[in-house]
Amino acid sequence: MTTTTPRPDAPGQGRTNLGSDAFAGSPDDPRVQLDRDLGVFEPVPPYPPRTEREAEFYTLRDGEMFLNMGPQHPSTHGVLRVVLKLDGEKVVDLDPVLGYLHRGVEKLCENADYHQAICYLDPLEYVSSLFCEWPGVMAFEKLLDVEVPRRAEYIRVLSAELNRVASHALFLGWMALDLGGLTPILWSFIERDEIVEMLAALTGQRMLFNYFRIGGVNGDLNHEFLSRLGTWMSHATEQIEAGNALLNENEIFVRRMRGLGKIDSKTALRMTMSGPNLRATGVPFDMRRAHPYSIYPELDFDIPTRAEGDCLARYLLRMDEIKQSLRIIDQCLHQMPDGPIMAKLPRLLRPRPGRAYAGIEAPRGQYAVYAMSDGTDQPFRMRIHDPSFLHLQSVGLMMPGHLVADTMAIMASLDPIMGGVDK
Amino acid sequence: MDRAFKARLERRFEEQLTGPIRQRHDETEIRIAAGDVVPVITALHDEPDFAFEFLADLCGVDTGEVMQVVYHLWSPTTTDWLRVIADGLSREDPRAPSVTFMWKGAEWMEREAYDMFGITFEGNRDLRRIYMPPDYQSFPLRKDFYLADDAARSPGAGVRPMERTHPPREAPATKPVRRIGAGA
Repeated sequence: MTTTTPRPDAPGQGRTNLGSDAFAGSPDDPRVQLDRDLGVFEPVPPYPPRTEREAEFYTLRDGEMFLNMGPQHPSTHGVLRVVLKLDGEKVVDLDPVLGYLHRGVEKLCENADYHQAICYLDPLEYVSSLFCEWPGVMAFEKLLDVEVPRRAEYIRVLSAELNRVASHALFLGWMALDLGGLTPILWSFIERDEIVEMLAALTGQRMLFNYFRIGGVNGDLNHEFLSRLGTWMSHATEQIEAGNALLNENEIFVRRMRGLGKIDSKTALRMTMSGPNLRATGVPFDMRRAHPYSIYPELDFDIPTRAEGDCLARYLLRMDEIKQSLRIIDQCLHQMPDGPIMAKLPRLLRPRPGRAYAGIEAPRGQYAVYAMSDGTDQPFRMRIHDPSFLHLQSVGLMMPGHLVADTMAIMASLDPIMGGVDK
Repeated sequence: MDRAFKARLERRFEEQLTGPIRQRHDETEIRIAAGDVVPVITALHDEPDFAFEFLADLCGVDTGEVMQVVYHLWSPTTTDWLRVIADGLSREDPRAPSVTFMWKGAEWMEREAYDMFGITFEGNRDLRRIYMPPDYQSFPLRKDFYLADDAARSPGAGVRPMERTHPPREAPATKPVRRIGAGA
């Protein structure tokens, strides 16, 4: 994985057992050919730098080297390539290279009709699919001036908050896994599996639910879902606390995470971060309260914040959020009104020309869709705003000075999902 | 809809607005020329009357006639989203000033808008392609770039006027000949 750049002023750099240095830097170099045959990625792009930043990044100073991480790497949460610039074992700078998972979802949505576009949104952040559908249907409902029935709104909040718990539980496991601990992910999958089974009973799918419809939801609550939910709710808090205790009371974990990847609130706002990563810096900014939507104004819950802005704060904050989600689920079950679950809408939707923006609080931050209609049955422009994309961008600010092994810890604490980053 | 906010915007940005302020649901929309982006954004961010400190979204739009850069902003001073549309960028050479001086995090969103629409953001230090490979030539989200498999296009598509107040001058009467990758 390590590739060094041949530099005449640094003897020993770039020397391997594979060939003599007579070839250094030339395309006939057997090492280069071997790399090409194996599909190994060169960290330095094969063209001259095009921008100021690229020129600055791909220039090595004394003692520095490049390390290519990914695109296939167990700790990158998907297919991400990161070029690290190292000085010894310290990271000086990094350059994430995206696009390995790019599917062109926005273009696909612009060439599908309004109902079809919703199902393209699911595989974006595939561990919290309901939150990807939600801004999409909200934006379309705004375009169509549709009022969603109250019961449908309650079911949306209920299922989405369950999904949030599942997503945060998985975060806990992944984060520990990236730090080298195997046990927590097995524990968190117990929770996640139970929730996913529950949602499968409700929506018919385990992962890509495609459950929200323009004007409501696809199906009403059923017996299996409610009985599973009731059983789970009775011991959920206990079980999650037990899972947390594995990490919260683990001195190695806590000491490793404390003070790592620090970012302050001003910088976080300048980097347009949102969600738990912003709240971990002390800013109580939550879309559910900052720009209320759905039935959240009627529900009673807190917005936990932490002041430290490091990896530990981001981890602990998500654990606090799980508790608030459980509170919301409990209230939804108690206040669930009767009534229809779908608004009356024609099969073929042709909203009048206009623009609509809908942003929600997803487990990773502000998830938003900006839709434009031109009066036909297809969205004219569909912009998907993903928080992971912006969080991944700010890794570059948090990394300098930390060790190579901390790259994974910091990235894991931001919880990016490459499906959403690459769209 | 926040009527008071609309009045405040009208008073403050009287000279910069290029069209009427529109309000619908929880959104307020203003249109400015691309050249006014820096003063307007700075005023919206810095003045305590507005205090738009959170950039919710930045994206490019191709209306088929002109290019636009659309900013969505959030502030505690109003219950509305503010949508700022930098209007009237030419399709041949779309240029807009970068807002990375205010929000460093806009850098990647501008890179994305460049990658998808070819909009050049002046002042962005790192305007490379972000999703498409570096040797890619065209801009996939432009309206003259059709999908290779265009089966999803419904028969209802003919004239696609963007907004009735601004009908495209040269909108084709029928579906134009498909040109794959004919961007730029």
